[in-house]
Amino acid sequence: MQQNLNFLVVDDFSTMRRIIKNLLHDLGYANVTEADDGSTALPLLKDGNFDFLITDWNMPGMPGLELLKQVRADARLGKMPVLMLTAEAKREQIVEAAQAGVNGYVIKPFTAATLKEKIDKILAARAA
Amino acid sequence: MSTATQQNEDYGPWVRAMSRALEHGDGDGFRTALAGFDQARNCEVALQVRRVATELQTALDRLRVDSKLIDLAQHQVPGARHRLAHVLRLTDDAAHRTMDLVEQCCPLADQLAQEAERLIGLQEADASAHQLKPRITAFLKQAGTSMAGVRSNLAEVLLAQGYQDLSGQIIRGVMTLVDELEEALGELVRIAGADDDGRSGRGTTPRGHGPVVPGVNHGPSVGGQQDVDALLSELGM
Repeated sequence: MQQNLNFLVVDDFSTMRRIIKNLLHDLGYANVTEADDGSTALPLLKDGNFDFLITDWNMPGMPGLELLKQVRADARLGKMPVLMLTAEAKREQIVEAAQAGVNGYVIKPFTAATLKEKIDKILAARAA
Repeated sequence: MSTATQQNEDYGPWVRAMSRALEHGDGDGFRTALAGFDQARNCEVALQVRRVATELQTALDRLRVDSKLIDLAQHQVPGARHRLAHVLRLTDDAAHRTMDLVEQCCPLADQLAQEAERLIGLQEADASAHQLKPRITAFLKQAGTSMAGVRSNLAEVLLAQGYQDLSGQIIRGVMTLVDELEEALGELVRIAGADDDGRSGRGTTPRGHGPVVPGVNHGPSVGGQQDVDALLSELGM
């Protein structure tokens, strides 16, 4: 059931998008769409039928934190699970992301196990 | 001291001596006074030449400094930026090439592992292969195990390419800095001594700080994923 989830992966580096996409495939999630920053991701989110958003923070155009805020402010997208996957490691940034309503925060470099653990935890919390 | 007073002091005695010598018809005295007058005038010219030479040297030194700045702004800085951009392209290409290979290898490893499983099942069902059975079984199990290891390693290779994202972010940061340096140097060349217009000021950036660089970043950062989890736990997540 969960394997049918639609993921949107947002990162300005195409290499990182491919890494996340491959890891998601290994976890059994085949439906993965990519976007290179918040401003290209937001229309996709509004027009599409996504179940899970994984986003970087530091991107040209609209950064990930702004994308998160826009998602939370949208009536239809407001409750979407959002995992921040970023190199940003300042304490105040993590607090800021938490206050903006992020569901999980993974710092780069990360492991496949960490990604799986956070996705599982978010989905479990959602199902409860 | 005024110019007229200085001239009177330098040349007056010689002019008066020449005048007296002319009135008295003293040819030798006139020539002596004239020679003294010439010497005084030559001293003044030498002083002026020295002053001009010093000013010329100062101007030349300043021109050399300006030339260095112009060269930095117009050639060396753009060159450094291009080199960094080239590094970014190279690492990007290399990362994609590696991942292409990994993506090609993964299904091969999966197929071999699956085939090994099938062969184990087939030879177990065939009584004529009884003598070879233990050997083939051991081999096929080993092949299956090895392929699982290869698959796991390939997944790690894929994940390791994350360096491109991190190094790329750092390089982009340096490129931005070089852009600002180029602009500042260009401005310095155009308007020597002009005040900073404030563009060089660095406040907090909503785009983030980029990856932690040892010895460069300042301010409190978390040490790893465990710290992130602990912090989020403190925040009630």
